[in-house]
Amino acid sequence: MEEKIMTRRDFLGVAAGTAMAATLGAGILGEAKAEPTARVVLIRNAEVVGSDGQVRGEILQSMLDEAIKSLLGTKDSAEAWQNLIKSSDIVGIKSNSWSRLPTPKELEAAIKSRLLDVGVSEKDMAIDDRGVLHNPVFLKATALINVRPLRTHHWSGVGTCLKNYIQFVPDPSSYHDEGCSPLGKIWTYPIVKGKTRLNILSALTPQFYGRGASFFDTRYVWPYKGLIVGTDPVAVDAIGAHLLQAKRIAFFGEDRALDVPPIHIMVADKTYRLGISDLSRIELIKLGWADELLI
Amino acid sequence: MMSCIKRAIYKGIDMKILACFVTMVWIFTVAEIVEGEQKGKMNPEISLPAEAAGWTWDGKETKYNSKTLFDYIDGAAELYLAYGFQGLRVRKFEKPNQPPITVELYEMASSEDAYGLFSFERQDEAVGIGQGSEFGGGLLRFWKGKYFVSIYADGGGVEAESAILTMGRATADLIQGIGTEPEFVDLIPGKDLGLVDRSVRYLKSHILLNQRFFIAHENIFNLSRRTEAVLAEYTREKQKTHLLLIRYLSVKDARDAYQSFMGAYLPDAGGKDLLKTEDQKWTMARQRGEVVIVVFGAPTASDAEALFKTTEEKLLRARWRENKE
Repeated sequence: MEEKIMTRRDFLGVAAGTAMAATLGAGILGEAKAEPTARVVLIRNAEVVGSDGQVRGEILQSMLDEAIKSLLGTKDSAEAWQNLIKSSDIVGIKSNSWSRLPTPKELEAAIKSRLLDVGVSEKDMAIDDRGVLHNPVFLKATALINVRPLRTHHWSGVGTCLKNYIQFVPDPSSYHDEGCSPLGKIWTYPIVKGKTRLNILSALTPQFYGRGASFFDTRYVWPYKGLIVGTDPVAVDAIGAHLLQAKRIAFFGEDRALDVPPIHIMVADKTYRLGISDLSRIELIKLGWADELLI
Repeated sequence: MMSCIKRAIYKGIDMKILACFVTMVWIFTVAEIVEGEQKGKMNPEISLPAEAAGWTWDGKETKYNSKTLFDYIDGAAELYLAYGFQGLRVRKFEKPNQPPITVELYEMASSEDAYGLFSFERQDEAVGIGQGSEFGGGLLRFWKGKYFVSIYADGGGVEAESAILTMGRATADLIQGIGTEPEFVDLIPGKDLGLVDRSVRYLKSHILLNQRFFIAHENIFNLSRRTEAVLAEYTREKQKTHLLLIRYLSVKDARDAYQSFMGAYLPDAGGKDLLKTEDQKWTMARQRGEVVIVVFGAPTASDAEALFKTTEEKLLRARWRENKE
């Protein structure tokens, strides 16, 4: 039987509230109100980034611990980490090395520290981005932790957790069609399938607006001083995209269009069943500093 | 050369002769591209400025070809490749206590390609540099001849923005000669029907079309480097409508594409060319010779008809002018 071609009309028929519906003009919903099916933690601390731009590692570590504890509903963070990772795991920390806005080294260190606490051997863990396909730890990993900065992206609309796995395929350009909508497919490949224990968006200094492929302007980066954490990559990305949209509206007085709408988030939900993109079905737990929270 | 082909199509030249001509042109063009890529060289007459408004070149120039472009663009090189990318040169400029400025000079296969690349992301006000320009958010983009130029600073400030414009003017002056805009863009109806400023996109692939207006995952319009597509947005009482025009090399190609679209997108139209879709708006599609015209999201059927009729009239006038020449 011939496979049905997915068209714009399929999305027009989807209920409002999804990330895709927002890109088509239906407007994004603000708060969880239906039966929650995914949990995401947003934690912020006013002191985590200094006026000099330096990240304070000890504060970031406590933010991460608190977020994990709240996400998993454990009595302390040590138990939460033990629920996520076993001492026998081989763990790849998939980071992001884009030179203009890389994953903060302090955040990588905070994750590594907790993996060591859980009992993972140092030789059984690695931090990498563009070299994952040639990194022996990633090739035999039993667990992955996905961590990257939150930003707009020229080709996928937003650079978030789903996008961060594009380095797990040898032909990234094959996944750039339609605003990178096939990105979710990568998550079904054996090298990553079922291995991701945690998704972390660094929203310490997100980039909320950009033009073109290599564009970076410090005016469109703001000290939000937060982390967005969850086990569902689609839900984490949907919250991240929502935050960037809210910031654009606050900054420009309108939702100034991105180079491309972040279609891939909804496709990851509806086509690849990787998680929840509908904001009304995401329980967002907000912790810490509440000034200019935006969402 | 493309203009000759278009005129030949309009004038109804024997299709066999035309097919031979097109094949020769295609081989010649591909040969040119391959030769250019093998040499890995840019047009030698283009020299970039070494200084502007107190910002001085750091002395390094990085060059990219179609194989290495992905290294620079971080994944989005398809955009440039779709518009016949030939080469890129990048220079950085510095000034104490000011953000560095980056100048990117893209050489494309033709001036139509340079225009297309410019149109694809155009959203800000023009600043009168090159043959078409925009400046906003600290980014200057312009095209001239077969070159597309992007200039930006790593941060804001009045001085940096002024320097970007100065740098842009200096670069544009160093690009000799001008190019032609795609004639096909002229068929788009204007503001009397609600055309949105800076919304006209000249497209060369279905990937690019979907980036601007998602239609289908598959290439149901059979778009390629050999087709021309123009997308434009209209607003009427705050309701958005999109108009898509595609020109094919032959009537048969257009017919095939039209039938492909109707089968994939409007299979429930019951033989009609107009349908109210799930958003309670109207989609209309018709083929006229080698051109396919589609209206998406019209508030009423008569709105869709009005946009179509105006486009068709412009198409007929263009054909009449071509025949008269």
